[in-house]
Amino acid sequence: MRREQQVSAEPELAVEPSPTREVEPLTNPPQLLSYARRWLLLNRGGLRAAFVGAISLLLFLLAWHLLTRYRVVFFVRFTNVPSPAAVYESLTRAMHDSKFFMHVMLSCRRILFGFSLAAVIAVPLGLVMGRFKLAHEILFPVTEVLRPIPAIAWVPMAIMLWPTNEQSIIFITFLGSFFPILVNTLHGMSLVDPVLVRASQCLGAREASIFREVYFPASLPHIFTGLTVGMGVAWVSLIAAEMISGQYGIGYFTWEAYSLVQYPDIALGMICIGVLGLASSALIRGLGRVVMPWNRT
Amino acid sequence: MSEIKASATSKGRVGVRNFGLSYDTLEGPVEAVCGASIHVNPGEFVSIVGPSGCGKSTLLNAVAGFLKPTMGDVTVDDEMVDGPGADRGMVFQQYSLFPWKTVKGNVEFGLKMKHVDKSSRDRAARTLLGLAGLTAFENKYPDSLSGGMKQRVGIVRALATGPKVLLLDEPFGALDAQTRVIMQQILTNMWQRLKISVLFVTHDIDEAIFLSDRVYCMTARPGTIKAEITIPLERPRQQSMMMSSEFLGLRRGLMSLIREESIKAMGGELNDLALDGLSIDLHGQSLADVL
Repeated sequence: MRREQQVSAEPELAVEPSPTREVEPLTNPPQLLSYARRWLLLNRGGLRAAFVGAISLLLFLLAWHLLTRYRVVFFVRFTNVPSPAAVYESLTRAMHDSKFFMHVMLSCRRILFGFSLAAVIAVPLGLVMGRFKLAHEILFPVTEVLRPIPAIAWVPMAIMLWPTNEQSIIFITFLGSFFPILVNTLHGMSLVDPVLVRASQCLGAREASIFREVYFPASLPHIFTGLTVGMGVAWVSLIAAEMISGQYGIGYFTWEAYSLVQYPDIALGMICIGVLGLASSALIRGLGRVVMPWNRT
Repeated sequence: MSEIKASATSKGRVGVRNFGLSYDTLEGPVEAVCGASIHVNPGEFVSIVGPSGCGKSTLLNAVAGFLKPTMGDVTVDDEMVDGPGADRGMVFQQYSLFPWKTVKGNVEFGLKMKHVDKSSRDRAARTLLGLAGLTAFENKYPDSLSGGMKQRVGIVRALATGPKVLLLDEPFGALDAQTRVIMQQILTNMWQRLKISVLFVTHDIDEAIFLSDRVYCMTARPGTIKAEITIPLERPRQQSMMMSSEFLGLRRGLMSLIREESIKAMGGELNDLALDGLSIDLHGQSLADVL
């Protein structure tokens, strides 16, 4: 009985909404809302994130300032930690110092060589290993054995292998980024939709064309993931190598600052590494967006 | 356009004789299709219907050249099929457009593989996209298109190389009913303009009757041809024909053929007892009341 009542009640409810409300005209919203206001509305999520992010960074700076200002000792000791002001001062000094720029430029050059070399070798290798079973069967065990060895563990070996310090540092950087790029390229190749390969074959594509027109572009998103990760690891490896065996470079600068008791320079070096790492990752991401206009993720 | 016109004069006769395909498992060989024979005359529209898993897609993939028959032979214009090629265009259920190519890039792909120069490629792609009502979307990437649009691109892409035969594997299965009807009309239109042979796999009986000159009905696994039905409906066919007694008669016939096979295919899953259960008398109460 209850159910019947509900059913009979529904048609009445359906009549309820007044037709006048539905016909209410949308009087040219583009004119009512200015372009700027609509832009703000559409991007409010991003703006909010930027705003909160800025506040978060400011709070971090404030905490850093307070902790160093009052030389807090609570499990960790802030007694010798430089304050933000001291670091800023050392930054302005470094800006007029050509030696500082030389350190930065040398690190960037090592990254450029090491990382580019890794990309140029690992990407084609991954594509070939992903496409040809025999290549995979031969090379995969070797890479799997070498992969877990951290690039830093290669430092002594690198020094023996390469005649100059510079070469061994580039080699370490290369090793750091090589494996993430290779592994991700392989992963991308393994995920290529076989139906797309069939589709290309039905359209007359032969082996070389399938490789160039299907396998390669289909793996590109993963290749770029590999490049982004590889870039991060390249910096990690580079800084470690520079601290151990370098004479120049931002890693060496940071370590030297500790030896020379120039504490603000330690923080300056660290921040500089952070900024450079961030910038190079952004560069890869930007490149990815240019190369893969279809990939809007 | 010369590429497309060329197909109108070439033949496109498909012959599948005593086709069988089995694959090895630990328990021994399993037969997917056994002794199926079909043919498609030049310019004919032929459908294959059957219960799911009957091997109709297997048959189509063998004609496309993706699968090698373990028995019998597959020919196109009296030439043995040996691997996939551009003379047999294929349309897939999941569209399978290249996401990294624009709509036009996808359509041009086959011509690019034929080393057709850029301007002819461009012209052919634009003409075909115009026929499919996609001109406004030629520079869009597939991800931004609706399912119906994607499949129109899929069909146009397969036709661009001027194949002798168009193979379609449940091409409209993922589309909603309204879109499907429109797509069927577009396909019919293109088929009539290009005079191309079509082999169409579907599980939708209405679709098969509405589109085809002839329909093959397959049995449950291992699949063979159970019946061949000629569709005498005149062309051009209208949507209203689907209500005609002639259409409904054909439909009833095919329905009962497939139903038998579907029940066989489901095997132990749905036995006679379960089917009896469907007609349990609830003595006027609704199912909800009983529960």
